[in-house]
Amino acid sequence: MKRILLLPLFILMCKLVVAQTYIIGVQAPITGSFASEGQGINNAIQLLVAQTNAAGGINGDTFKVVTCDDQGNPQNAVICAKTLVDAGAKVVIGSYSSTATEASQAIYAKAGVIQTSDATANNLIVHAYPTYFRNSFNDNIEGNFTADYFVNIKKYKRIVILGDFSAFSTGLSASVINNIKALKGNIVYTGKITSGDNDFRAILTKIKALNPDVIYYSGYFIEGALLRSQEVSLGIKADFVGGNSNDNPQFLKIAGSKAKGSYLIGLPLPQQLDSQQAQQFVADYAKKYNSPIPSIWTITNADGLLTVFAAMKAIKTNDPILVAKYIHGSIRNMPCLTGYMTINNQGEREGNIYQVSQIQSNLKYKVVYH
Amino acid sequence: MLNIFLQQLINALTYGSLIGFIALGYSLVYGILKLINFAHGHIVTFAIFITMSMLTQFLALHTLGFILALSLALIITIGVTIVLEIVAYRPLRRSNRLSLIVSALGAGMVIENAVMLIWGPNPRVFPDINFFQGTINLNGVVVSELNLFILFLNIVVMSILYLFINKSRTGIAIKALSLDYQTAQLMGVNINKIIVLVFVLGAILGSAGGILIGLTYKTISFNMGFEYGLKAFIAAIIGGIGSIPGAMLGGLIIGILQTLSAGYISSIWANVITYSLLILLLIVRPRGLLGQKDIEKV
Repeated sequence: MKRILLLPLFILMCKLVVAQTYIIGVQAPITGSFASEGQGINNAIQLLVAQTNAAGGINGDTFKVVTCDDQGNPQNAVICAKTLVDAGAKVVIGSYSSTATEASQAIYAKAGVIQTSDATANNLIVHAYPTYFRNSFNDNIEGNFTADYFVNIKKYKRIVILGDFSAFSTGLSASVINNIKALKGNIVYTGKITSGDNDFRAILTKIKALNPDVIYYSGYFIEGALLRSQEVSLGIKADFVGGNSNDNPQFLKIAGSKAKGSYLIGLPLPQQLDSQQAQQFVADYAKKYNSPIPSIWTITNADGLLTVFAAMKAIKTNDPILVAKYIHGSIRNMPCLTGYMTINNQGEREGNIYQVSQIQSNLKYKVVYH
Repeated sequence: MLNIFLQQLINALTYGSLIGFIALGYSLVYGILKLINFAHGHIVTFAIFITMSMLTQFLALHTLGFILALSLALIITIGVTIVLEIVAYRPLRRSNRLSLIVSALGAGMVIENAVMLIWGPNPRVFPDINFFQGTINLNGVVVSELNLFILFLNIVVMSILYLFINKSRTGIAIKALSLDYQTAQLMGVNINKIIVLVFVLGAILGSAGGILIGLTYKTISFNMGFEYGLKAFIAAIIGGIGSIPGAMLGGLIIGILQTLSAGYISSIWANVITYSLLILLLIVRPRGLLGQKDIEKV
């Protein structure tokens, strides 16, 4: 009789022991040039985790976020990966840049930690790490879209391609160049600038002499904004088109009124997402942090975590190896904040939601092609 | 073709002038104390950030607000510079040069971290002002009003500085101090006053360069002083450290080499080409272009 009475107590104690705090790591540039992106990603993950915990957690676990600032550089990325593995993280969201993501991939894979990133460089998939999956789309998709827009839609005759030395920008430039060549487009100049420099007038003056129709920049928003601003100051009439990492409010702040007329090729901006789920998330974020979501990369990373949660619920376990196995190939057309999530066996997100926006006189983006 | 060359030359001269303004601070202090003031680049960063804050406060007042913001920022920067001289350099003036250099490096780190703690670690955007926004098109060569102002300011500052150093009583005292510290003191020169004045002059010129950098490139960060400081230091060495026109000349040479290398050879190789040529120049002329030989006194 005594044993029977003690049984419920024993079961409760077992539950208390089994139900534990499951650590979600965030590896992102919280400080440095990409701080606004890193802080956005961290905020979004904190918000999702708080909402999930409030709803009772998943499979008996509640979640806790541990954040590590990699400042967007590969050295700190390695330190962060080791720190988060040591902290017991089972899932890591990040990093923002391809360079930092690539540097950390092997460490998470070896430790059996799920990693999801918005980074777009093609080479992030070549190792086929079983625990890595991408929550955005790869460079080839953007390269193909950009080349088609330049050659077939805008019919540019003299194209300039600029990039920086990062893995992301190098990969995207290469993809855009290859796709333009495949479409028999005419590239009159390809070049690189150094990220962190701020005077690009020499290379722009050289480009001016080539009389281009368009200057495409595959790097990040700070240099993109400076290039656009200095292009206008030098009286260059060519269109300016920024790749997906020029999507950041800082672009508008730095380039100011000179941003007007420039184009951005990328995923939809947060305010352009039309699903009710996405709009609710945008509103929840604004309410909690009293500021708008910095860019679409905040939301693709949130989608990464939502994909992990969906997989946990589907297979009724939070074991990272089993969850990762399920995500690779079994997540297909899952409704998410940025549309639908389909992850193939290599961890690649399939689909294409790219669009072209143009900055208007009021410094608002207007979709001009998709 | 000529248009492109002239455009590159204007790009080079404006960029070089900005470096030159900062380089003047290194040269002035070295001329007196034989000290490489490694904190100078960070003082420039402090000046940029305090100006940004002041402009944000007073820009609504338009031109008056701009003048008010600039004046307040300059007063605060001068105050910090004076404190730096009294706390970090004056007590070590009679010790060996190495202690002074270490003190300068330490002071630089203190300022850099203070800027990070006050304004945060993230890049900031320098506010827009209502003037110098237009451009002038001279037969295909486009010059912004801000660039014209930079070139104009360069000439004005160099002229005033030349007259001040060579014609004014205080300027002659500075020269006397740079030639012989002790004799100048015996002749009645107040060395504390002159040394503070030289630090303040360097800070004002560096602040001018820094504010123009903020207005030109818009994006600023707490650690930007290191890179600009390094380039300005190299400019001061190339021009002949201790020489005032040499510092500006060094800045202009760096601007020309970098711009023409990037414009006519390759932007990737611009730094390699520039600094290789500068090493060659120093091999040929170790004291820099306008540096003078130290006369060994017996």
